[in-house]
Amino acid sequence: MNTFFKEYFDRTTFFACLALIGIGLLSIYSATFDTNAAINFHKQVTWAAIGFILMVATMLVPLRVIHRSSMVIFAISLFGLAAVLAVGHRAYGSLSWFGFGGMGGQPSEFVKVTTILALASFFSRSDTNMGSIKDVAKAFGIIMLPIALIMMQPDLGTSLTFLAMFVPILYWAGASNFLIVAIIAPGVVALAAIIGTTTFLIALVCVGAALYFFREDRFFSAVMFGVNAMVGIFVQVVYEKLPLYQQKRIATFIDPNNDPLGAGYNVIQAKVAIGSGGFLGKGYLQGTQTQLNFIPKQWTDFIFCVPGEEFGFLGAVIVLGLFAVILIHGVRVGYIAKNRFGSIIAIGIVSLFAVHVFVNVGMSVGLMPVIGIPLPFLSYGGSSLCSYMIMMGLLMNVYAHRKEY
Amino acid sequence: MTTEEFGSAQRKNILLTVIGLGLAVLVGRLYQLQYVYRDEYGKKSEENSIRTVVKEPVRGYVYDRNGELIVDNRPSYIVMLTPIDFDMRNVPLLAKILQMDEESIKDKIKKARQFSLFNPTRIKRDIDFATLSALEENKGLLPGIEVQVESKRYYGSPARASHMLGYVKEISDWQLEKLGEYYQPGDVVGSSGLEANYEKYLRGEKGYEFISQNSKGQVIGNFNNGKYDIAPKDGLDLHLAIDVNVQALAESLLTGYRGAVVAIDPTNGGVIALASEPDYDLSDFSGVTPPDVWNKLNDDENKPLFNRATLTRYPPGSTFKMILAIAALENKVIDENWRVQCRGYFVYGRKIFKDEHVHGSTNVVEAIQRSCNVFFYQLMLKVGLDPWNEYAREFGFGQPTKIDILEENAGLVPSTEYYNRVYGKGKWTQGYLVSLGIGQGEIGVTPLQMANYAAMLANKGHYFQPHIVQTIYNPSTHTTDTVAVEHHDIHISERTWQLVREGMRRVVMEPGGTGGAARIPGIVVAGKTGTAENPHGKAHSWFIGFAPFDNPKIAICVLVENVGYGDSYAAPIASLCMEKYLYGEIIRYQKVPEQPPKEQLPEERHTTTTASR
Repeated sequence: MNTFFKEYFDRTTFFACLALIGIGLLSIYSATFDTNAAINFHKQVTWAAIGFILMVATMLVPLRVIHRSSMVIFAISLFGLAAVLAVGHRAYGSLSWFGFGGMGGQPSEFVKVTTILALASFFSRSDTNMGSIKDVAKAFGIIMLPIALIMMQPDLGTSLTFLAMFVPILYWAGASNFLIVAIIAPGVVALAAIIGTTTFLIALVCVGAALYFFREDRFFSAVMFGVNAMVGIFVQVVYEKLPLYQQKRIATFIDPNNDPLGAGYNVIQAKVAIGSGGFLGKGYLQGTQTQLNFIPKQWTDFIFCVPGEEFGFLGAVIVLGLFAVILIHGVRVGYIAKNRFGSIIAIGIVSLFAVHVFVNVGMSVGLMPVIGIPLPFLSYGGSSLCSYMIMMGLLMNVYAHRKEY
Repeated sequence: MTTEEFGSAQRKNILLTVIGLGLAVLVGRLYQLQYVYRDEYGKKSEENSIRTVVKEPVRGYVYDRNGELIVDNRPSYIVMLTPIDFDMRNVPLLAKILQMDEESIKDKIKKARQFSLFNPTRIKRDIDFATLSALEENKGLLPGIEVQVESKRYYGSPARASHMLGYVKEISDWQLEKLGEYYQPGDVVGSSGLEANYEKYLRGEKGYEFISQNSKGQVIGNFNNGKYDIAPKDGLDLHLAIDVNVQALAESLLTGYRGAVVAIDPTNGGVIALASEPDYDLSDFSGVTPPDVWNKLNDDENKPLFNRATLTRYPPGSTFKMILAIAALENKVIDENWRVQCRGYFVYGRKIFKDEHVHGSTNVVEAIQRSCNVFFYQLMLKVGLDPWNEYAREFGFGQPTKIDILEENAGLVPSTEYYNRVYGKGKWTQGYLVSLGIGQGEIGVTPLQMANYAAMLANKGHYFQPHIVQTIYNPSTHTTDTVAVEHHDIHISERTWQLVREGMRRVVMEPGGTGGAARIPGIVVAGKTGTAENPHGKAHSWFIGFAPFDNPKIAICVLVENVGYGDSYAAPIASLCMEKYLYGEIIRYQKVPEQPPKEQLPEERHTTTTASR
């Protein structure tokens, strides 16, 4: 029995995940216990229990079975997502909730898992050739399906996480460096162009250098450079033509300090919460920013402020440390897994987690624009908690089967 | 080709590097926020969530020597505005109710916003009941407006004592800068007289209540159950040496004149009365001072805000003659038998100095009794400037008395050094001295200095720093502290004291004395009249004196400006004040029908009635 556990049971993932869920529940309790959202804590405990069952179940299902059924599962999840558009109800300005039995379900969270499965399934096919534009386009197609549906809700933040997750998977699956640069570059150039002409030119030079360095075909590199330059100029022209209030919205999106009482309010309050926590924090349930509800709906996207304020730098670093354990361990699992399907699943899960952690925590500390995506295990939300626990189950499953081809 | 790239060690390392970099950036940022800038953010979070409510202490009360309440506090209504809750569209309505102009309200809101959105700010103090009820009626229309009660000074005593008590008013910008960090805009602060000098004792210490509020500024409760709250400490009570009855009488006797009365208890230096007329109503300052009241007081040519008792610098006239007599006797320039033949004038060089009467042969006691100018003209030349100046300074002239209010003039007593400085060495002559001998010319004294001088004469040189406040009572500890007072001795031979004091006794008590109007039934009074000529009209009427002669309990100085002889105005006022103090009431009229005092002059009663109108 002992050797079985040693061989097949992924303790690292399991305990890091449970520790984060524990911190998450403590944080949600702190943020809600004396508000009218106190019920959320009890809901989250229930979801954690359900998630635990799902996690163990996912871990125990043979990876082969998952592999074979992954495209079907993907199709079913997309159908669910489409159904939301027809019958779902609105929450915080976007339509993404399924209501059943008093507990809302958010299919887009589960679609994250199924999309990883679908990509893993696609890239592990023996006839998929990363050098062929056709196959890369097919992979794009897989990722664009959920993105299109999510954009219709509309939920820009979640869509962006799909794209961000896609790049490392593509990279891991063997896409050329040039392809990766070509995919990332226009986004970088567009963002730089909004900030200003100088940053745009600097970005363009960097992109040019990268395209030259990773060149496969000089002509194609030159074309890509031209495309990037066009994108930048186009963005600038369009930005200039926008009405002032829209320009302001974009500027605030990039730097929330521009609008301290509007869109920037949350970010400023979040920074105050975290900064005022100091090195050791104000003590559990003692954070004034948290307890006095300075950050609206803190238990969802700004949950990181709670450990930041109440447990200080030490608490915040412990949370990041636990995520680091999962991320680094996940990459290692992806590397040692002999099974391609499992390997890509591991990297996909790591990518998705990394994007969520960097964007969510980065937003709370004022380094990232306000994009409404949850912090895995900590943010309130049953669907996301369950889907992250399913992902952990998958990662543990891959670990258990790491030696199988 | 691509297959080799799948999951390569290099790609694994690049992914790990990206993850590592991302985490490092986040940890670095957390370090910056939570370690480097922790104090800054800590302060911000406190400002955010904890509202500090100032709890005003009760300003200390003021009592007279008999425990009669002179100053206490009464409630007044004040309009407060909380910027976050106030709708700027309501400014015109608010302005209409408060009868203020819209601009000044907007200005106050703007200032308050810069300070804090959540802290209430004072919009208008001391509103009347009509305004209060108008506000209550429109309460529903004016969110963010509330009426609070604060206390304002109330003066219920018959004595006004405006200059001595001083006023409290809303702190000005320069006071805010000067008085330091205890105060904040809108506080009231003692700004003159005792209120200013004892501000630190009277004001007490503000208390603070810390109230938790949420992001909308709504109060959630006391922060940490009030663990950090600081209770206000009420101000300390002042117990004065002042007798309100004497003070009130002095004020009523001076009404209609410009002048001052200062009375001192020679046994301890306590100030019994310190009146200056014309005065003003302190109640005008206790809430909001309307600008027209302020301008009227400032523009009045009689300067009602000016404390004549401690700030005027007039020549003392003949009341100063005792200084010269003492200087002459102590320096052995003359003895008590030295006589002068008074022909009614004195010639020095080409100048003639006049006297009121022809006094004939006069010694020093008679010269004081009858105020013979010729005697003192000659004596001044014999004594010389600097010995005279030395004694003037011994008696406290030319320097502040260090009384416990801040408004005080040092006065001026000239010396050789002074004349050399002003006129140049050798450019002034002994002729300058002659009029100094009778207290005229370049000499300036305050009524307070003169009363202090009278107290020294009364107590034969043992004197105390004059002080209005005797004890300070702390209501929270129930302890009383006595104000520490300096005391000094002037070393003069007993014989000199006897001669000078005998002269002063004769001034009032003997026929031929110039101060008969100062008599009090049944009590021996000593004193000296003065009639100080001045270029601004009639002479200033002076009187200094003390009583009872053998065991003095009160020393007094009265100055009435531009009315004439000392005996006609100042002496009767002094007499009535001393009588009131010594008997507790004015007894002279009650006793007139039974046994009229022998030497009561009919003229005196006439002047008394004039003075007390």
